[in-house]
Amino acid sequence: MSEQFTTEFEHIRPQLRAYILRMTASVADTEDIVQDTWIKASQNIGAFQGHSSLKTWLFAIASNLAKDQLRRKKRWTEDCTDICRQEALGNRAFFEEAMHIRQHSPQGHFEIKEHIAFCFTCIAKSLPLEQQLALLLKEVYGFKIKEIAEIMATSEAMTKYHLHTGRSKMIDIFERRCALINKEGVCHQCTELNGIFNPKQNAQVELVKIDMAREAGNKDKEALFDLRMQIVQHIDPFDSDAAALQLHHLEHNRTVMEAYLRNNPSAPEETV
Amino acid sequence: MSTSLSAQDSQASTIRTTFSRSTSVSTRIQADPAIVWALLTNAGDYARWNSTVLSIEGDIAPGEKIRLRSTLDPKRTFKLKVKTFEPEKLLVWGDGMGKRTYSLQTLDEGNVLFSMTEKIGGPLFPLFAKMIPPFDASFDQFAADLKKEAELIQRK
Repeated sequence: MSEQFTTEFEHIRPQLRAYILRMTASVADTEDIVQDTWIKASQNIGAFQGHSSLKTWLFAIASNLAKDQLRRKKRWTEDCTDICRQEALGNRAFFEEAMHIRQHSPQGHFEIKEHIAFCFTCIAKSLPLEQQLALLLKEVYGFKIKEIAEIMATSEAMTKYHLHTGRSKMIDIFERRCALINKEGVCHQCTELNGIFNPKQNAQVELVKIDMAREAGNKDKEALFDLRMQIVQHIDPFDSDAAALQLHHLEHNRTVMEAYLRNNPSAPEETV
Repeated sequence: MSTSLSAQDSQASTIRTTFSRSTSVSTRIQADPAIVWALLTNAGDYARWNSTVLSIEGDIAPGEKIRLRSTLDPKRTFKLKVKTFEPEKLLVWGDGMGKRTYSLQTLDEGNVLFSMTEKIGGPLFPLFAKMIPPFDASFDQFAADLKKEAELIQRK
């Protein structure tokens, strides 16, 4: 194994970790999959022909490992943030832990834009897995259609289909639910949590700093989704100022949703 | 891209006999057949792109049963069985009263001919024929929606 490969893997590792976390919503699973990607890539680097970039090849290995793990798990529901909020309201320990992180962790800040990225991770888990992957790879990590087709081991036509369908669904969900872009939207958790963690802040003042919220009345839903994606692109969920707080929140949501889906057999299973 | 009817496009037409009624439509779509097939077989996604369908529940897969609600008769849920499933070629679903056939034919590079036919009938057909609304406008809309969505995806 060459030193160059090790250096390049370490360069790509942060993106790979964030990508797998956004697929699995589990820090432990993410660390396992990234480690397994390293092992598998190290064992097969001799067979790597260079037909694609090393980054594309590594994302393909990691995607397959993640898909293997997620194959038998049910997809989340598009109202997952409502379900998790309801559970959190009855869970005093959750808020005590969160407040402890807020007060003591250097990555315990709360920012609305960080929660927007967190919210995207949760809602995207309601898409069929192939659509979630295509969306993440294109909109967050900037891969080209041809590269995504290689990563997902499918045709460019089907990649376009998964991407378009996933994006359309996400736009529809946010347009209906997100109070930042729709005054009738039922979900305003980001501003609600801002009131809890940053009680001295005026949420409206904070929202003016966010392009997507500021432009809500001026731009169409496609453009607003692009602005949402710009927020997600610029946040590393492991390395942001709010990482500790949001990872704690994500672990809570994953635990709640796994229990919810176990108790609701009608929820859709993955079919990859 | 022209939106006029080409030689291979046809507006919906209906052939009536005493004991049956058959409505057909076809349109040329500039998209990969895989995209058209994916749109035709993803039950949960129909209502997003197809303005003639309110919902389809179930899996559009060989031998599976689906529950379809259409704008033609919104209060009624059609319980249908997938009878033929040949990827990117032929899809047939139906019940005891009739069957809907979707077919894809690859044309020159990058084009596919989509055809859809629904035949309903049987010995008792004359008794309820007048109660069944005409399908022509709905078929034209279905084909137009499919063409628009598939070509939009292809251009991405």
